[in-house]
Amino acid sequence: MTGLAVVLAVLALSPFVWLLLMSFKTNAEIFRFPPRLLFDATLANYAALWTSEFRNSFANSLVVSVASTVLSLLVGVPAAYALSRWTRRGGGAITLWILASRMAPPIAFTIPYFLVYRHLELLDTRTGLVIIYLTTNLSLVIWMMRPFYDQLPRALEEAAWIDGATMWQGFTRIILPLSGPGLAATAILCFLFAWNDFFFALILTRTEAMTAPVAVVNFMNYEGWEWGRIAAGGTMIMLPVLVFSFIVRRYLVSGLTGGAVKG
Amino acid sequence: MIAERTAGFARQQHRFFLFCVAPSLAVLAIITLLPSIYLLVTSFTPLSLTRPETLWDFSQPLENYRQLRADERLHNSVWVQIKLSFWTVLLQLLIGLGLALLLNVKSRLLEALRTVFMIPMVLPPIVVAIIWKVIYTPDISPMHGVFRAIGWNVPALITDPEWALTAIIIADTWEWFPFTMLMVLAALQMLPQELIDAAKVDGASGWQVTWHVTLPFIQGVLLVAGLFRLIDSIKAFPLIYILTDGGPGSLTEVTNYYSFLQAFNFSYLGFSSAITVVLLAATLLLSWLIVRVVGWGVRVD
Repeated sequence: MTGLAVVLAVLALSPFVWLLLMSFKTNAEIFRFPPRLLFDATLANYAALWTSEFRNSFANSLVVSVASTVLSLLVGVPAAYALSRWTRRGGGAITLWILASRMAPPIAFTIPYFLVYRHLELLDTRTGLVIIYLTTNLSLVIWMMRPFYDQLPRALEEAAWIDGATMWQGFTRIILPLSGPGLAATAILCFLFAWNDFFFALILTRTEAMTAPVAVVNFMNYEGWEWGRIAAGGTMIMLPVLVFSFIVRRYLVSGLTGGAVKG
Repeated sequence: MIAERTAGFARQQHRFFLFCVAPSLAVLAIITLLPSIYLLVTSFTPLSLTRPETLWDFSQPLENYRQLRADERLHNSVWVQIKLSFWTVLLQLLIGLGLALLLNVKSRLLEALRTVFMIPMVLPPIVVAIIWKVIYTPDISPMHGVFRAIGWNVPALITDPEWALTAIIIADTWEWFPFTMLMVLAALQMLPQELIDAAKVDGASGWQVTWHVTLPFIQGVLLVAGLFRLIDSIKAFPLIYILTDGGPGSLTEVTNYYSFLQAFNFSYLGFSSAITVVLLAATLLLSWLIVRVVGWGVRVD
């Protein structure tokens, strides 16, 4: 059984490994079949990328992803805490609203944002992207953090209140430090969502604020089939994703499903 | 005296919670609710960016919806969507379930393999699309290389009318089988060992345990996983954009993609809004179904 699992894993991962290897190949090597197992690896594809416009796009991706993550956490975390402690009615409706914001097809937001951004001059700006990423990330924060707070006993902050702390202090000094791991996982998932986005950036940016995923696709469409560079660009986009995903692998399922199933 | 103080405390607490929730609700209202309303409004106009005067033209508010019913290409896109959703959700559930059962053994190696199998799901969708573009491009594809070596004459799958949709289904299944696998694994870890032991004591074989004990235990998770994948399959975009651009013809053009073409290639934003309103309603309905199935509405405090 274990042997079968290993074989399947190798098989399932081979397309991914192929792209990784391609990014270190020269064009001649890419077209060679059967491929040589030991080829002369080159960093030329990466060097060519780093001296091109791609560097700006990579920076855009970083800035926009970090900004939208920080904003969503600032606004969303207190809400997640309050909703967890709130026993009043209306919780179900808010849950559905948040879930629907996560689930809505991106084009549903893109059309109105595109029309409004034309007037606000937010097309092709990083600010514009940060705002539209909030639609998903704010919901994600509330959704992921609420189950964390559900698990923290109320006695914790109640003890602080009895000792004379204000409610805000009870939250910031007692509850927040205890939810550190949850915050880290949520922050990473927010970052990944913005970093992975293709559709919003494709439509709402042109040149100035273009993100890395859109830039890589532009190699395909406008600069001929530079396979080596496309593979190198793809690899650079996926590297931070692989590292971060490995860190939060325990929280991936509950992050994607909002705690419907706890992994 | 004490009652008075508790009442004051409750009021204070209520105010504090409102203070915490209000910013989020306000921001969500501005960034999700208003745009949805605006989308509904534009769906009542013949808005096209090439004719600015159409922006506030409400003379025939239901014209777009009338066209929805007559548009053959749209009906085709719904049919393509149904085929894509059906096959990807089914395959992902089967493969995810199979792998989860295979990997649900206490062993260091198998636990490491879980992480390995997770990779396709966490890759940026655009990278997944590039990977499959490479595999489906005969010049550089290792798959086509193997086919040639053994003398099979296989056409380029993504430009072949017979194969294009299948090619997308394969790529999408590869990208998302880890999701169902992880969900099933999570559920399997909650399966009480006593249930399995009891069945074994009664003489059940390994297959019988799987069929009569394990499967009934995880059917709820399978349903939720399937619903999540179903909603996501409606949003399929990068794979189709990179691999087939909806073609050949409109054989791989799902509704979401058709709406994108109408809005941002043909500039018919009004008509596209009407299509999107229908899509949005469908996702809302499915989300509501998930909330019901999972039971978030009824929280036990």
